[in-house]
Amino acid sequence: MATQQDLEAFSTQVTCPDDFDDFWSGTLEMLSGISLKSVITAEPIRSNDDVHVFHVTFLSLGGLEISAWYSLPTKGDGPFPVIVNFPGYKSEPPVRRDWGKKGVAVLSVAVRGKLMSSSEFNPGYPGLLTAGLESKENYGYRGVISDCVRAVDFLHSRPEIDPERIYACGSSQGGGLTLITAALRPEIKGGVAGYPFLCCYPEAMTMFQSYPYDELACYARAYPGDEEQTLETLRYFDAVNFAPRIKCPMVVGIALDDEVCPPETSYAAYDALTAHKELWLFPNSGHGNAHDYPGQERAWLENQIGLTAVGS
Amino acid sequence: MSISADRFWRENEAVLAEVMPQLQVQRDNFYSQPDWDVYQLHYTSADGMWLFSWLSVPKGDGPFPVIVRMPDYGSVHDIVYTSLRDRAVVMNPTYRGQRRSDHSIQAKYPGLLTEGIGDPSSYVMRRVFVDVLRAVDVLYEQNLAQIGKMAVIGAGLGGSLALAVAARRGVVDAVAANTPMALGNPLAFEPGLAYPLAELNDYLRMYPDQRDAAAQSTADLDPLNIASQIIAPVLLSVGINDNGSCPVAFGEELASLIHHCDLRVYHGASEGGGHEHAQIQMSWLSDKLGLG
Repeated sequence: MATQQDLEAFSTQVTCPDDFDDFWSGTLEMLSGISLKSVITAEPIRSNDDVHVFHVTFLSLGGLEISAWYSLPTKGDGPFPVIVNFPGYKSEPPVRRDWGKKGVAVLSVAVRGKLMSSSEFNPGYPGLLTAGLESKENYGYRGVISDCVRAVDFLHSRPEIDPERIYACGSSQGGGLTLITAALRPEIKGGVAGYPFLCCYPEAMTMFQSYPYDELACYARAYPGDEEQTLETLRYFDAVNFAPRIKCPMVVGIALDDEVCPPETSYAAYDALTAHKELWLFPNSGHGNAHDYPGQERAWLENQIGLTAVGS
Repeated sequence: MSISADRFWRENEAVLAEVMPQLQVQRDNFYSQPDWDVYQLHYTSADGMWLFSWLSVPKGDGPFPVIVRMPDYGSVHDIVYTSLRDRAVVMNPTYRGQRRSDHSIQAKYPGLLTEGIGDPSSYVMRRVFVDVLRAVDVLYEQNLAQIGKMAVIGAGLGGSLALAVAARRGVVDAVAANTPMALGNPLAFEPGLAYPLAELNDYLRMYPDQRDAAAQSTADLDPLNIASQIIAPVLLSVGINDNGSCPVAFGEELASLIHHCDLRVYHGASEGGGHEHAQIQMSWLSDKLGLG
């Protein structure tokens, strides 16, 4: 099990490309040229006394149609605070009904490749992490990240949402996407990134033989001549390089016995944050299974949203 | 076991016996490693459904112990990952509707748990249990490795599938089931549960006149039906805050019906014992499989 000293002693070889901001501002510019064309359809079977649940679609990079579950409180007229929930690597986005009673909306995003958003891009799992690695322009995660940005755009387009109270959360890949999206969208006012994936690829792909990072190791073994280009592409998608660009409060939660997202790599993203930040370390916990994490995440978000004080 | 459940299993065994597996094996060069080979298996199950399974085989001469990791309720079943894969054959089979086994049925999440639930003959989950029996049978058809002792493991739905396979296949030497899904048990229809079990109550709220039909479609799958038929030792974990897969009262009743059950109750939710239990399970499996 790693210790906090191990995390602090870790130094990543990841550096930020000189044209990092140009690449992403160019991508955002491409996105802004695509009409959102959002469609909202009621899902009565998933709705209950606390929430109206909707299936939402909107257009993202390349004109791909992206889906999401959208849960709105049944009580009150809004505008509601909202949490955008980014999905894990292989899991489907959950229908979140647990915030409705508190008067909080939730958007749970099915980024491209998820079942609901797979008609035109479907590399599978394993597969996504290496899809299009040959260039930063074609890398699959350029689209995935764009889908998260578009989710925020969707919320901004909604009259029932309070644009000053948009928060983000997610675990594993969702944690990485929380960090990355918060850097690209200052409309996000705070976030909780659990066990974040997408951090320090050069080190993460060699520290454990576990997926998804091991997909990169398999790729390197299959295409030994492409390693330099691969690592060059990944610099543009490393949460460590996004972290200093985040302006809102951010929490990073790390399990010290995480053998999927090495704790050192997640810590490097935390360390690179320059805005207000909190670190939650969970000893004797592995990837995604710290017993106290869900409760702490909820309490922190409630506090940020202004529902309760932490610990009350 | 109820008469209905007994008939369900006998009828499905008969259905399975009429379908040849037509096993196809392909080495996956991309994901194979220096210490083990990875294979993609394709085979047929009931209704002629083509299914997929990951299989990893250690380098060297067997026989090797086998771990079959049953799929949980979700669209993806992992490519094989366990630190035991350099010493054990590991199989990760999928069921119909999951990715790579979705030629005819594309499962939705949420959604699969109630797909066709209005009639037992159309309820997809009944065939899901048959699909994993077929996976274990296929292990004995392959000639990639000689196999020794077998453990079946799984979490959530995968826990229930592991228990069912152990009850139906005498070749199983050990079972590790985490928070096995209470699908089929009457409490699974109660309001106020979390997903995935909450899908059942969602359905009843939408179609209240279907209550009896839904109960009939699921009842045969209740793990309590087959618990007493499990001869192999079982390591069972539950979380006292779990209300989406294995409510603790259900887990305790299940444990009481299994001949050799080591029940571990944790302060977790659907993750059961989480990391603590993962370590216990690894040690337990190593012991049961003679991996040292």
